[in-house]
Parts: sequence; C-alpha cells; structure tokens
Amino acid sequence: MTLSDSTTGKRRRRHNTLVGWSFILPNFLGFAALTLLPVFGTLLLAFTDWNSYSTPEWIGFDNFRRMLDDGNFWTALKNTSWYAIGHIPLTLAAALGLAVLLNRKLRAVGVLRTAFFFPYITSLVAVAVVWNMLLSPELGPVNQFLKFVGIAHPPGWTTSTDWAMPALVITSVWRDMGYYMVLYLAGLQAIPGELYEAARVDGAGAWKRFWHVTLPGLRPTTFFVLVMLTVSSFKIFDLVQVMTEGGPGRSTLVLSQLIYRQGIAQGRFGYASAISLVLFLIVLAITLVQFQLQRRSER
Amino acid sequence: MRKTSARALTAAVAVTLLAAGCGGGDGGSATTADGRKVVKVALWNYDTTPEFKALIEGFEAENPKIDIQPVDILADDYADKVTTMLAGGDSTDVLTMKNVTDYARFATRGQLKSLDSEVEALDKASYSGLDPFELDGHYYAMPYRHDFWVLFYNKALIKPADADLAKLSWADYASLAKQTSTGGGTSKVYGTYLQTWRSVAQAIAAAQTGGDLLSGDYGFFKDQYELALDLQKSGAAMPFGTAKSQKVQYKTIFESGKVGMVPMGSWFASALLEDRAKGTTDIDWGVAPLPQIKGDGTKTTFGSPTAFAVNKKARNSPEAEQFVKWASGPKGAAAIAKVGVVPSYTGEEVMKAYFAVKGMPSDALAAQAMKPDSVKLEMPVSDKTSDINQILDEEHELVMSGEKSVEQGIEEMNKRVKSEVR
Repeated sequence: MTLSDSTTGKRRRRHNTLVGWSFILPNFLGFAALTLLPVFGTLLLAFTDWNSYSTPEWIGFDNFRRMLDDGNFWTALKNTSWYAIGHIPLTLAAALGLAVLLNRKLRAVGVLRTAFFFPYITSLVAVAVVWNMLLSPELGPVNQFLKFVGIAHPPGWTTSTDWAMPALVITSVWRDMGYYMVLYLAGLQAIPGELYEAARVDGAGAWKRFWHVTLPGLRPTTFFVLVMLTVSSFKIFDLVQVMTEGGPGRSTLVLSQLIYRQGIAQGRFGYASAISLVLFLIVLAITLVQFQLQRRSER
Repeated sequence: MRKTSARALTAAVAVTLLAAGCGGGDGGSATTADGRKVVKVALWNYDTTPEFKALIEGFEAENPKIDIQPVDILADDYADKVTTMLAGGDSTDVLTMKNVTDYARFATRGQLKSLDSEVEALDKASYSGLDPFELDGHYYAMPYRHDFWVLFYNKALIKPADADLAKLSWADYASLAKQTSTGGGTSKVYGTYLQTWRSVAQAIAAAQTGGDLLSGDYGFFKDQYELALDLQKSGAAMPFGTAKSQKVQYKTIFESGKVGMVPMGSWFASALLEDRAKGTTDIDWGVAPLPQIKGDGTKTTFGSPTAFAVNKKARNSPEAEQFVKWASGPKGAAAIAKVGVVPSYTGEEVMKAYFAVKGMPSDALAAQAMKPDSVKLEMPVSDKTSDINQILDEEHELVMSGEKSVEQGIEEMNKRVKSEVR
C-alpha cells in the first residue's frame, strides 16, 4: 500500500461518514428538537417548581417528597400496575392464539387476518365510544346477553369501581391483539418446517409440538412483544381518558393521566415532570429485568 | 454529476425539514390584506352557539376597521385546549372564559391582561355577574352573559294544574316527577332528567342552604343527594350509570319528549329556540323557577357568568379590549338577548328584547323564572378551586352510581379536601 492510497482511503472513509451523517441528520435534528431536549428538560424540571410562566424555582427533592404523601399518586400507580398485569399477559395470549390459528391454510385466511388487525388501525376514540355502548350496564348488548344466559346481576362495567378496570383491559386487549398477532405470524413463518416434521416423526402430538417447537422458536418474538407491551401498558392514557376519564371516582386513574392533570390542567409542570421521571424509572427497571431474564434464558 | 445532485437533494431535504419544523405557529398576519386589524377570539361550537355570531357580526358592523376571526374549539375540550394554547405562548387576542374556575387559573398565572379601567366605566346598577371576576381588587375579564339555573318543563307532560310550578319545593318536584313517569323499555317516560354534573346536587345544595363548596365540610349535600338517589331508584329519573356511559345529552332527551322536567342553566333556552326554528323538535316547553329548599318564598339559584378576557400576549391588544368592552355593554347585551341568551347587562330594554324573541315563553311563570332573588356562584374562585373540583367530581360519581353511600361519599369528600388540597 502506498502513502497516497492510504490518504485516499481515509478521505473516502471520511467522505462516507459525512454522507452517512447527512442522511440521518434531518431526522436526528427533528428527534433532538422535539424529543431529546424535552426529555432532558423534564429531568431538570422534576427538581423545580414551575407553572410554565414564571422562572422555574429549584426546590431539590420537594416534588418527590410531595409524591410520597400524594394519595393520587399511589392510587394511580396501583391502577397502572393493575392495568399492566391484566393487559400484558392477556394480549400476549390472545395474539399468540390468533397467530397460531391463522397460520394454517384456511379459506379466506387473508380476510380473517385483516379483520383481526382492523381494531388496531381504528381511531381510538371510536373504539372507546363503541365499547362504552357495548358495555353500558342497562342497555348494552353485553349485559343483555349476560342476562339472557341467566346472570341476573351482570357487572356494571365502566360505572362500577370494581369492573371499570377489567372493562378497560378487555377493550385494550381487543384493540391491540391484532397488531401483536401480525408480529407473531412473522415469527411463526420463520420457524423451519423440518422441525415440526422431525417432532411428528418422534411421535409428538399437537400440544407437544406447540410446547417444544413453536414456543421456543418464538422466543425472540415473545421477548420483543413483551417489552413493547410493558412500555405501552405503563404509559396508557388515551383509552382511559376517553372511556372512563379515570372514573368512577379514581378507580381507573393512571399515571399518565395524573401527569396530564398536574401538568397541563393544574399548571404544576415541576411536579408533573417528577411523576414522569418516576414513571420512566419504573418502566426502565422492568425492561432491564426483562433483558436480563432473556439473556439468561438464551444461555 | 450524480454525486452533486445526491448531495443537493440531501441538503434540500434537510433544509425543508428544518423550515417545516421552525415555521408555522405564528398564526397568520395581524392585519388583513385590506388593512383591517385582525382580532382572534377563542370560542366554542361556533355553528351551534348563536350568541358568538350575533356579537361578532354586531361589532364588525360598527367597527369596519376590525376583522374578528373566531378560533373554534370543541366545547367539551375548550378548557384543556385553551390551557394548552396559553402554556405554549399562543397569541389569540380574546379568550372566552367559559367559567370562573378556569378564569381564576388563567388570571392567577398571569396569562390575562388587566381590564380595571374598562370595569371602572361600567354601569354597575344594571350589570350582574361581575363580582366573581375580582381577584385581589383587579379584574381580568368582563362578563357578557350571565346564566343561572331554572326548571325547564315539557308542557305536554307537566300541566300547571298538577302543581304550582312557581312555588315548588324539592319535595313537590320529586313527587311531581314520580307522578309523571310512565311506561318502560323504549317507551319509558321519565319524570325528570338529572344531568350527570355534580352541580345538580352540590351547587343547588350550596346555593340554597348557604353551604361553602370550598369548606371541606360537606354535610349540607346530604338532602339533595338523597333526593336524587330516590328519584333514580323509583324510576322517575334515568340511572346515573346509564346516562354517563351512554353520554346522554339533556337536550336530546328533553327534545325527544321523553322527560317531564330538566333543571338546567338558562342557556338551554336558546338551544331549544333554535331547534324549534330548525324543525328538529316540536316540543312545547316552558320555564319555571328552580325548586327551593327553604320555604320562605325567596328564589335562590346558582349560575355562572361567561366573560371575555384579553390575552396578555395578544397582538392587537387595543382592538381586543374594544371588542370585550362592546360585548359586555348595552349593545352587546341587546345583540345576544335577541338570540335568547341572558346577558350580564340587563337594562329594561334588553330584557324586553329577550322576552320578545320568537318562541320564548313569555308567560308570568317564565318572567318569574328569569327574575330570581339571588344568583349564587356555581363554584367559588380560589387557587384551590380546581383541586377541590376534581375531588368533588370524583366522589359525586361514586355516590350517584351507588358505589358509596351518601354518608360515605360526604365523609370521603371532607377527608380528601382536607388532606389533599394545599
């Protein structure tokens, strides 16, 4: 290699790097201005008292101390966890079940797959309003049906403190399962057919094939789905806001809603930022644990 | 050659994206092409709220050099949207204050311009609803309409012979409602409809017993809650849960003729007038004074003035102030009285115009209803108002849906207001 060769090589490399940067630059600038900077801003604001007009006043850990005493925070944390505990496994199971069913050669399988995906692309407000009608305690078809099959006192759904959260979970599972089903379908198609043949030759029944071939083959997909579901469950806002507005009482108040109320509605941006920070740390911790478990199971 | 164009393309994309990111948000020009000053007014449901059109058209006719541009926001989202706009430094000139609670929030945050000198010039003898806008001796908004609650009734179901509607107590009202309820299933007719808002129980109790909604001591709610729950249980009023989950609208159910009486704000009259004119309903309705807790013959109700305020960041502040002043004065009052809206300024001429509106009930009962002895504020203003509002709303829902007994609900309200609000 001559000297001039290596300089051209260097120059080309630098040139390539620049071109590469210039391709991601527009996107990165947008991301930095609209996401990255506000995120760091939130981090700082969490330690201030700020109403969005005055100059933020540094108050150290006061916001966090206030949070410890705030009944609304604990209620919201509990509700958000309940929602996650219901939403994550049920969506996962429903999506996996659908994917396995629709991975076979059925007539009109394309139509069915599309039908299950539809809720995901439907406007969330429409979903919430329609489910509210379906679950209406007196006139809703769901309770009419339950009465028809002999349940004299069907649940009050969104009007009852005990049933409002299950109503939200049912609606959100129905809405999300189509999306995760598509991910699982892709995962299923990546499992080599020979494995199933081999299992069949060894005398494995349908259940054993599912347990020993399908599930292990889907592990990367399941991991991805699990992480996505965890993140989306903890930041649930829109569905709750439209369907129950956190009610009845505070029975479905979730953390994102509390952040919205404290920040946008009450103008306590410092306190709202502190709650956001805590929410972020919770999600981060859970995700890290998930990554750790995944790594261990791969070994 | 190809390289250059690729590079140029990348640069162009970057520049466009940046420009798109930075541009927008200046909200257009402060003057029109023909040199008129633009005053933007944040308001709600422009198409279905006739008083806005009446005010804007009346003002523009007198001030040809000013162009009023409505910024239309969905009524249900109005408070949230304006809060977000102001937090983002929006420069919409005039902001309609839908209620005093929101007003207090905007004003105490320093988002509104002081209107002290304009208020000074008002003819206070014929002007109502101004007091709640005073904050430490200053005014940041001027009311142009002043609604208060009355009892709307369907003349086909409630006959004046059944009861003396001018002197109803709440107990009379309840038995009249039970007497009027008939049928079941889809042909069910309810004696009364209670909107799901907490004011239906709480503000009535506060206004007529003298209770304080900010006190943290809510024993005075008890009777009104028991009344409402009894009406629900007896089938004379639609269950709270149904009304809430179906998002039933008082207007729709009253206009369908399936309910005898609806306690509601006087704003309901203009909607009814309009729908009758359009032919969407043929209901024959009347208004009576709100039923009373005390039997001493005085008529006490509650209400909430609606006001205009000038944004501190307004671009055409002097013109915006001119509009606000005009709207709350005699001319603005006359303009909205003609569309059946109760103005803040109630000179004799203005009220004559109000009752002369086509289709407006003008019998003696209506005249009595529109002249209450005292109008209490729906919710007192303080920096604690919105926190207390939230708590009272949440607990109201639990009591009305039967999740908590009246006693438990009131106890919880007392406890939460004392421990959570600071």
